[in-house]
Amino acid sequence: MIMPAFDISTSGLVAQRVRMNTISSNLANISTTSNEAGEAEPYKPRYAVFQTDDGIGRNGAAGVNVSSVQTDEEVQPRWKYQPGHPDAVKEGERKGWVAYPGINMMTEFTDALEAARAYEANLGAMDITKDLQQQTLRILA
Amino acid sequence: MQPISGINMSSALQNLSQMQSASGVSGLNGNGLGAASGAGAADASSFKNILLDSIQEVNSMQQDAAAAVEGLATGEDVNPAEVMTAVQKADIAFRMMMQIRNKLVQAYTQIENIRV
Repeated sequence: MIMPAFDISTSGLVAQRVRMNTISSNLANISTTSNEAGEAEPYKPRYAVFQTDDGIGRNGAAGVNVSSVQTDEEVQPRWKYQPGHPDAVKEGERKGWVAYPGINMMTEFTDALEAARAYEANLGAMDITKDLQQQTLRILA
Repeated sequence: MQPISGINMSSALQNLSQMQSASGVSGLNGNGLGAASGAGAADASSFKNILLDSIQEVNSMQQDAAAAVEGLATGEDVNPAEVMTAVQKADIAFRMMMQIRNKLVQAYTQIENIRV
């Protein structure tokens, strides 16, 4: 039966949607200088990590699922000199500087486009699967 | 998403051909479908069970689809893609069942038209 192809494509759609959510999150927080508790800590970009899922496919084919959404701990903040800012560094070498998230808008948008194209590709595969299923009915009709 | 198990079309077709050969109606060739996997026992009563099973599976697929649509409409945290997939699968499975039913009715009318 062709149905597993449907489930695999759906898992791709779901995964790309999760990825798109993380990209939206990164773009929304591109100027976020404090964390949930209100402390001065720049937002760290998040990335969805995909893994294969053999439970969805059949005959060697595998679906995909999102194993986790990781925060990028290595990213360097962008420093801006804003002495009046409430999240500015109070003392030391960086006094008066504010740490902004090290998010590159250009790469985020490229990722967003890629996610959208991958979503479309999954829809295309699904369309073909659907077509095949309907064609198969012609054996009996 | 949990995959919804599909009904096995090849075995359904095979059983259809078995039923036809059992009732003496020519048409589908059993050998032509021999490569298809599935219950191959020439048991007339099992065909009914398999047909009922597949109808039941189509029914459960439709119930899954209805539940998914309801979840989407009532604002639950469901992915639209999964809802659409459930609906599409239910639709395909139902159409397949209808084709099998049409074939059955066709076989029945052929037998009915035999002059004795």
